[in-house]
Amino acid sequence: MSNEIIKTAEEARQNPAYKAALVELLYQFADDDLIISFRGSEWLGLAPHIEEDVAFSSITQNTMGHATMFFGLLEELGEGDSDTLAHERTAGARRSSTYLEKVNGPGSYIGEPDYDWALAVVRNFLYESLKRIKLEAATNSSYEPLRQIARKALLEQTYHLAHWRLWIEQLQDSTIEAKGKIRMRLEEASREFGDALSLGSKAEEIHRFNLLIDEETLKNRWLEKVNGVLKEKFDSIPKMVLGDGRRGEYNEDLEQAIGIFTEVYMSDTEAVW
Amino acid sequence: MAQEERNFYREYEVFSRKSNKLPLQHQFSLLAPNKDMAMMMAQENFMRREDAIDIWVVERDDIRAMTSEEKQQLTKRLDNKDYRNTKGYGYLRKLWREKEEKMGMLDEKEIFSWSKGRKS
Amino acid sequence: MYLYIEGGDLIQDERTDEEQYELFMERINNGEKIEPNDWMPDDYRNALIRLISMHGMSEIMGALPEKEWTPKAPSLKRKLAIMAKVQDEMGHGQLLLRVAEDLQKPNGISRKEMMEGLLDGKIKFHNVFHMKTKSWADAAIIAWLVDGAAIITQTNMLNASYGPYQRALQRICAEEVFHAQHGEALVMALANGTKEQRDMLQEALSRWWESLVMFFGPPTPKVTGSSRQDIMIKYKIRVNNNEELRQAFFDKYIPRIKALGLELPDKTIAFNEETNEWTYEQPDWEQFKQTINNNGPRSKARLKLRQIAYDNGSWVRRALAHQPEAVV
Repeated sequence: MSNEIIKTAEEARQNPAYKAALVELLYQFADDDLIISFRGSEWLGLAPHIEEDVAFSSITQNTMGHATMFFGLLEELGEGDSDTLAHERTAGARRSSTYLEKVNGPGSYIGEPDYDWALAVVRNFLYESLKRIKLEAATNSSYEPLRQIARKALLEQTYHLAHWRLWIEQLQDSTIEAKGKIRMRLEEASREFGDALSLGSKAEEIHRFNLLIDEETLKNRWLEKVNGVLKEKFDSIPKMVLGDGRRGEYNEDLEQAIGIFTEVYMSDTEAVW
Repeated sequence: MAQEERNFYREYEVFSRKSNKLPLQHQFSLLAPNKDMAMMMAQENFMRREDAIDIWVVERDDIRAMTSEEKQQLTKRLDNKDYRNTKGYGYLRKLWREKEEKMGMLDEKEIFSWSKGRKS
Repeated sequence: MYLYIEGGDLIQDERTDEEQYELFMERINNGEKIEPNDWMPDDYRNALIRLISMHGMSEIMGALPEKEWTPKAPSLKRKLAIMAKVQDEMGHGQLLLRVAEDLQKPNGISRKEMMEGLLDGKIKFHNVFHMKTKSWADAAIIAWLVDGAAIITQTNMLNASYGPYQRALQRICAEEVFHAQHGEALVMALANGTKEQRDMLQEALSRWWESLVMFFGPPTPKVTGSSRQDIMIKYKIRVNNNEELRQAFFDKYIPRIKALGLELPDKTIAFNEETNEWTYEQPDWEQFKQTINNNGPRSKARLKLRQIAYDNGSWVRRALAHQPEAVV
């Protein structure tokens, strides 16, 4: 099976084990993009300067578009309507990384948001570096529709990674104050980013069916990639003290997020909006 | 502290080229702390809105533009330069006609058609 | 190009102010565009600074009420559309602030002072962005009618005499087209939806109506104590006055509102065939004045949001201000 290309959802559905692994992987892709885009949308109007607000909000929008594409693939595989998948699944059913789900800071985005730009930069840089590796690997996936979506997403994602990479390069080389803040967030990430690098309970099948690369390779590539940019490098693969989002573990941060972005949808799930 | 923050906001002019046949055009200005940030910010405004195959950012301080006075002077060149435009050579058309029916004067249309190359 | 050169205007110019003014008016009346380092009368410059600063800040502050509903948008498609719209609005704000900043350069004012001007109330923003939002229907009404009102005022200035502003408006109006359609789509879905959705829409419209009417500003200067309408019309920055624009809004939108089966809270509103004008109940202009002086329902809260973010971003600006050239 390992060198075969599966061209359509129809074909995928014929092998339940293949389909189960594929679906698990796609939820990870979709949920990561959905939540990071949501956290990005909370930053609108609050960035260090207006030109950055324009750039950041554009990235946020693109990322929501990627999430939509992944949900589209899941819809084709019979998981349900995209909007239902995005809005009706419980926190425990989500497969996003707990680190990506973290609040931007204390305070609500409508009330008195006390967000830290250092967290935004570090989180987005680490995530986009990972996403780049995953998308590139996905262009060689045994599942043809995923290859196509990955290729499309890469066109925009190149800019996303370049944007956050520039921010971290410049901040880590600037004032003592800035270096300190970045360092603090990197240390935090070394404790919390781990589950983003995990492929969850079906990691073995995902690799065996050639849906993506294996977890070890993924982790090593990521480490090399980010350490190539960072002055203060990670000395090992990050841990996951907030829990393993790939296995359905979550915190109140995710519940808070879901509560907000499903508020209107849930007021009437049958209505057309 | 205030002065340091002020230096964060430097003015950059953004230029872009839409396609290979068009010249680079001035688009708008933005504020950024340095050239690389300026380029990063400029890209986002174009990727969203219009086609661009190339983008330049230039720090405003590096540009020598015209003063109001100079701009007014610009329009005041003498209109005595027929030798520089085709209307000054219109008389050639008649002369060629006298020489040889099939020859034509080299006008813009003729010369630009040479870009197609020679067909063998 | 339109750059300000230090001392450029001090080059020997033997014309008196009167002669300059005559030349200036001739240029304006010929439809020529004035650029940043051209001679311009003080009242022209000041009117533009005030107008464009307010316009720019309104785009930026306007993103905040919309932002309240962006993540809550009830479908992926709507989330994407609103994200695109607010991103456009930030972009418009950026373009406009740049125009205002260039005009302010001779006064030594830059982005830093502009942001401070917003936060301390010197630079105002449109009344509609001081209002509360209550439900998803507010997002729909804002996208349809607030944007609609903005399109009417903006298109009225598409031939503005001041070059940089006119060019910025060209870009802005081109993007407003999709905003208008997005607004219609949201409203249409609610109007054609369940009873709860229709009621929610009607409630939002009834709540927003007065603010929309006031958006165009008072008909005469008597009300808020000042008005630059006449100056702006004389200098060909805009074509119509506040009342004419308000009437244009009624022309375009009242029939559409009625076509959707919605009712206006103002029961007196009617079109007079003879005068070709809508008669309507005068809104509370005193309240309008309070609102734009940052005493509206959400004025202080939204400014506070911006203040906190601005302060929190201080370390970032300090950090990068230390590097004139990037170290890559």
